[in-house]
Formats: sequence, C-alpha cells, structure tokens
Amino acid sequence: MKILKFGLFFLWVALGVGFCLTSSTWAQEKVVRMALKASDIRSLDPHYGTTTIDYACIDPMFNGLVRFKPEDINPEKIEPDLAEKWDRSKDGLVWTFYLRKGVKFHKGYGELTAEDVKFSLEKAANKATSGFAADYSALDKVEVIDKYTVRLTFKSAIPSVLGILTNYHGGYIVSKKAVLEKGDKFKLDPIGTGPFMLKEYIPKEKVVEVRHPEYFRGKAKLDRIELWFMPDASSREMAFRRGEIDIVEGEREQAWVNKMRQVAGTAIEIFGPGETLVLHFNMTKKPLDDIRVRQAICHAINLEELMKFLGPDVTEKLVSPIPLNYLGGTDKVPGYEFNPEKAKKLLAEAGYPKGLDLSMVITEMSDYRRPMEQVQEQLRRVGINLKMDVIAHSAFHEQIRKDVNPLVLYVCARFPTADPMLTQFYHSKSIVGTPTAITNFSHYNKIDDLIEKARVEPDTKKQKAIWAEAQKKIIEDAAALPLCITKFVFARKVNVDLGYEMRSTLTLVTTIKETTDIRK
Amino acid sequence: MSNGALDLSDQVPRNDFKEEVVIKYAIRRMIFVLPTLWAVVTFVFFLIRIVPGGPAVAALGSYATEESIRALEKQMGLDEPILVQYGKFLMNLCQGNLGKSLITNKPISQEIARALPYTLDLAIGGMIIGILFGIPTGIITALRRNRPPDYIGRILSLVGISMPEFYLGILLMYLLAIKLHLFPVLGGGDLSHLSSRLYHLFLPALTLGIIMTAFISRMVRSSMLNVLREDYVRTAKAKGLHERAVIYKHALRNALIPTVTVIGIYMSILMGGSVLTEIIFSRPGLGKMMVFAVKDRDYIALQSVIIIFSAFVFLFNLITDLLYSIIDPRIEYH
Repeated sequence: MKILKFGLFFLWVALGVGFCLTSSTWAQEKVVRMALKASDIRSLDPHYGTTTIDYACIDPMFNGLVRFKPEDINPEKIEPDLAEKWDRSKDGLVWTFYLRKGVKFHKGYGELTAEDVKFSLEKAANKATSGFAADYSALDKVEVIDKYTVRLTFKSAIPSVLGILTNYHGGYIVSKKAVLEKGDKFKLDPIGTGPFMLKEYIPKEKVVEVRHPEYFRGKAKLDRIELWFMPDASSREMAFRRGEIDIVEGEREQAWVNKMRQVAGTAIEIFGPGETLVLHFNMTKKPLDDIRVRQAICHAINLEELMKFLGPDVTEKLVSPIPLNYLGGTDKVPGYEFNPEKAKKLLAEAGYPKGLDLSMVITEMSDYRRPMEQVQEQLRRVGINLKMDVIAHSAFHEQIRKDVNPLVLYVCARFPTADPMLTQFYHSKSIVGTPTAITNFSHYNKIDDLIEKARVEPDTKKQKAIWAEAQKKIIEDAAALPLCITKFVFARKVNVDLGYEMRSTLTLVTTIKETTDIRK
Repeated sequence: MSNGALDLSDQVPRNDFKEEVVIKYAIRRMIFVLPTLWAVVTFVFFLIRIVPGGPAVAALGSYATEESIRALEKQMGLDEPILVQYGKFLMNLCQGNLGKSLITNKPISQEIARALPYTLDLAIGGMIIGILFGIPTGIITALRRNRPPDYIGRILSLVGISMPEFYLGILLMYLLAIKLHLFPVLGGGDLSHLSSRLYHLFLPALTLGIIMTAFISRMVRSSMLNVLREDYVRTAKAKGLHERAVIYKHALRNALIPTVTVIGIYMSILMGGSVLTEIIFSRPGLGKMMVFAVKDRDYIALQSVIIIFSAFVFLFNLITDLLYSIIDPRIEYH
C-alpha cells in the first residue's frame, strides 16, 4: 500500500508542477505550433530543400527578388519582394533588378546587397551547390551594377524568368557572408532576410524559429513558430485536439475532413495547387508497348469513382498532364471515357482476350497506395490482375527509377508553368535509366521539339498553344493517364489568424507570414 | 542471461572473496559482449545495404535526378566497395567515432546523447510503474486465488499483455489528455526541468507501465503460488508467525528471484517498446531515431542506434545476474 501511495504522490507532483510550468511558459509568448507529416528535415539551405517540411521551415526565413502573393500562386500575379522594381530588354534576355535598401539579414549578417543576390543566384545555378541548378541552365551571367542593382543575362528566353526568381527553390536569396563563413553547416544554420530566423533545430523533433527584429516589412506579430515533425496521423490529431498544436497537416481523405469539421474551434483548409496523380505507362515493356493495352487501361479506369473514393472535397478533376491552374494547363485534350466493354475489346484485339497479369511496386504512403488500390480494383473488373508489392517510400523511388514497374503512379506538384512537368516527365532526356534521367517513366520521346520550342517562345499565347499540342499528343499516344488532383488539407485553430486567405501555395503547407497572429 | 554461469550452493562465501568473484565475473561478461556486438553490427551493416532504397534517394526526394543521386552517393562514400565501407566503419567504431548522419550530417554521437536520456526515462519510468503496480497485484491475486480479485487481476493482465502499445497509448491520450486535459501529448519536455520532464513522461511511461504491470503481476502471482506451497512457508505459519511476516519476509523474497530474471529481460523489451511509444507521443528518443533511420536508409544512424540498444540489453542482463546474489546470498558466480 505504501508503494501505491508513493506512486500516487509522484503522479500528482508531476502533474501539478508540470502543468503550472507549462501553462505559465505558454502564456508569455505568441507562439504558433504546426505539426507536419514528416520525420525530419533534409536541409534548411533553400537551394536544397525539397520536402514539404523543408518548405515549411525555409519559407518564413527567406525572401526572393520577387514573390507569389501569400495566398495565391498565380504566376501572372507575382509581386516585388527584395527587388522594388525591375525592367527587361525587348528580347527578354536581360533583366535588371533594383533592390530595396536597408534589408537586413538575420543575426547581424549585415545589409542585403547586389553581391548577395549575385552569389545566391550563381549558387542556385551551380549543381555542386544546389538541387535546382537545372532550372537556371539558361542563366548566362549575373552582374553587380551597383550596391543595389543587379543585372541578369539569359542565353535564351525561358518560360518565366520571374518564376525562377520567386520565393521558391533556387529563387531564395541567402547571405553570401554566412554561406562562406559556415560552409556545409549553412544547411542547418541558415541566414536569410525573412520575418523569422532559426533559433533551434532538434533532429527528429522540431525546428524553432523566432521573430527577426529587423524584418523589412515590419516585425512579425508572432514571437515564435515551432514546426514539429510528426509522421503519425493519430498523434498529430491528438496533439491538435489537445491544443498543443495550432495547425496540423491532415489526411487527404474525406473522412478526416468530415471528422475534423466537428471539432469545435477548428477551421479546415483545403487548398491548391494540389498534387497531380498521373499514371505513367512504360511504353517499352510488354504488354504496355502495345497502345491498345494502354488505351484499355485508360478506358477501364473510372475517374469519377476514384475521386468519390478519395473524397469530393479533397480532389479535383485533372484532364491533361498539366493542371488548369498552371500556366499552360489545358482541357483541350481527347479524353478516355469510362467504358469497360471497350477496354475488354481492346485487350482482346491486343491478344489478351482472357485479360492479363501485371506486377508492380507501390509505396506504403497512403497518398499513393490508396488511389492505386482503387485503380487495382477497377482494372480487375476488366480482367487485368495487378499485383502490387508495398514497399518503403524511398525504396519505391529507387525502384521506379530502375524501371521495374509497368505502371508508375506519380504524385507531385511543380512550379506552376507547363515546362517543368513536361520536361521532367515527357522529354527524352529525362527517361529513367539514362545518365540525364529525371522522371520520364513512360520512356516517351515524341514531344521533345514541342517542349523545346515552347520554352523559348516569347509570345505567351503561342507558347500556351504549343504546350496544349504537346499535352494532346501525350494523351493520344496514351503515354500517361491523368487521374485527378488531390488538394492539401490542414486543420487550424480559429484563433490563429494567418493574415491572408489561403487559396494556394507552392510551399504546400499553410505558411506562416509576418502577418500571422493569434487572436484573443 | 546467466549462460549457465550461476550455481546455487548451500555455503555462503566470505564477503570480500565474493566481491572479487563478482567483479571478475562482470569483467569476463563484458569481454564476451564484444564479439556479440561485432556480430550484431556486422549483420545490420550488410542487411540494411541489401534492402532496396538508399539514403541519397531519401535525402533528395522527388526532385532526384540520376546525376544528383550518384553525386550524393559519392559524397556519402556509398560509391566505394562495400568491404571498404565496412573496414572504414569498423575502424571508426574502434576509435569511438560513430560517424555523421547521412541525412542531417550531424554527428550521430550528439543525436544519441540527446535522445538517450528520453529513452532511459521512458524505459525506467515504465518499469517503475510496472513494479509499483505489478508486484502488489501479483501478491493480491496469488493470495486470493480463484476468488474475484484473482479473476479480475488475471483478466486485466491478459488484456494488458494482448494490447499493442500504440493502441493503448492512443487510448490513454484520448482519455487523460484530450478528455480530462491532465497530461500533454507532445514532446519529451525540458530535460533540465525535472517537473516538465516528469509531466511529459507520465503518459508514455504509463503506456509501457501498464503493459509491464500485466507481465510482472502474472509472474509474481505464479511465483508466489509456488512458494506458498513450500514447506518453509507452512513451517513459518505453523510457528505462529503473523501472516504479513510470512508473506513479505519468507514467501515474497523467494518469489522475487524468478521475477527479477524476467524484469531484466523486460527492461530490454521496454527499450524496444519505446519505439512505437516515442512515435505516438512525438518524444525524442533512440526508438524514434531508429525507425526514422530505417525509413530514410540512414545507415550510419541505424548502425549506431543498434549498437547502443545492444549494449543496453547486455547491461541489463548483467545487472540482473548480479542482482541474484543480493536477493539470494546462496548464489555464487564462477
């Protein structure tokens, strides 16, 4: 009994003191805590960050020369950020940017100058120091005109110069002094100009950022933000319900959305641009080298049913490989209506009257696995038995790059112009298994000329027409089947005021800005 | 475990002589652990490299190009022949250098030093709760055999044993944190503040503690039932000793010998059980580190965590063996 009493005493002491300590600490500061589906960051150097958690941590710390509006990723509405204004030559090859004066880097790293911009863009364009060097292959040189003026010269016209200079990927401006001083350590101790600066990074747990007191748009309203790495969905939800987390990455499922809508004081945010779900067919391997088999698969898949299964609130139609809200997205492509009988007929014509067997690997990640399970069931109805081995996500990425799958479901979002997606998934230079491989899983090579032509076309209208033609060919050749778009789902405590209305963001998470506040 | 090195003897040796024997025994066991650790790390070293997926792909994510994957693999030293990598790994290990994480590039020793106290807190906390509740429950159910307290205790222990810790953890979270607002569900607290540390520890430790209670109570019950049938217990009762004295001084002490054995083993299980518990409660710790290392194919982190886990399993077993002599002075070490 004495032991039991001691145990209870221990419990109440821990409970009481811990509760008081935690409550008093929280009451003093304006803090927003966000939980994301991630195990850890990869890099806080913006030129290397590629995962959602990287974006979430990087975005509040950095700026670009220009930026997307906080609530919108429309490339036609890009606005000034570190640059106050800019002008361009008639041929669109020379761009001059005039920087804001008095912009300060974090932690006493001095004022932003044209030298930092030159250094940052050259770093972003160098594959030894950046993961996005390919985006800057057309950049010829960056010249410092004076302390606040920088000139960019391009070898050829590219679809969106402002696009590669936004607050995204290689467009983020870093402190030259900090990068040179910290070397490799910059990846985990970055210095930018954003409204928040890094305070602490605790591996496998969280990143803590605090207000940058000299931010050029004025001090952030929050004192601190915490970005927690929480891969387990139940834990994220519990922490949110308990009030220890203010913004939580949700599951892209209707059931989750419906459930969280019932939680008092919760706002559900479903925003774009979403990720495209596209089924790529390996056109070099039997039986998918036969267009009739690929067309049969297209006719066998019921997209309405798939979207209903994934959830009407979290999905959107995708009719061509490029979403409509991207520059170059189109709906003027031939579609494959759901027609199981036609699918069976096509299979019979191709020599498979009794159906066929296919096998593939799929990642354990539900964003991929769930839609693919639905596709598997739909294909089974027309006699296509798809055997799926579920493997770890990194193993999946490795295996699909080794060409093991006849079908590859790829879920992604890219910069919202048609060029990156068309280049990475449908240009012959991107075919997997080649030295220049990226993600061309279908081995498609029939639109190289169109992709390259559109890339240098200065007239946007003509450019869009070329991109539309390219997409039409992809669908006609049944190189890939666009399934749908799944949007991002977050839950937010209603007392957290983002300071903007979230519609779409390239950071793929609810981003914290200097305007974000906590309402009483 | 004892590896048959324990002997029971009717003679109680002199204390100074016994101390020397115990120390020698402990040193010998520690020397034997080195080849075991080597075998474990070698097995893990090769096994994880056979499994598809690599750290470069995990680190670069969906933007990975063939060229960038190869470049990063070179930077990580993964382009070298596997035996060269193995040789370097062993050499560094002998020098006490665990290396740097392939993903974060931070020294693994730093990450382990930060995570280890949380895992030890959890394992020890779970064990304390298990002992605090398991031993009394075991005694009560044994003394009230085939009566309602025994039935209830047995049913509850069966439930405790069968319930996966992630499920139990979520149930406790829902009840004690979400509904009653008593405990936090996030993080491990501040290590430098005991109260914050305990406050954050309670729920995860309770999760493991409930499972431990189930195991320990069953073990104590079974041992107590055996001991209560022994002649010396009957003799003690016949002498007219108070029941409490019979139970606590004569029966319990002997019943604890097999219990201590399992507690040593359970301590190792608890270290493993920390894996899911740490993930559910978003606590830092070695278990969480290990899972993420597997997921990201962070070979260096995984090898290091497994070495630490193996070392602790060995240590707990050694402590268990040494505890025998305290509980039962007749035990001798050879």
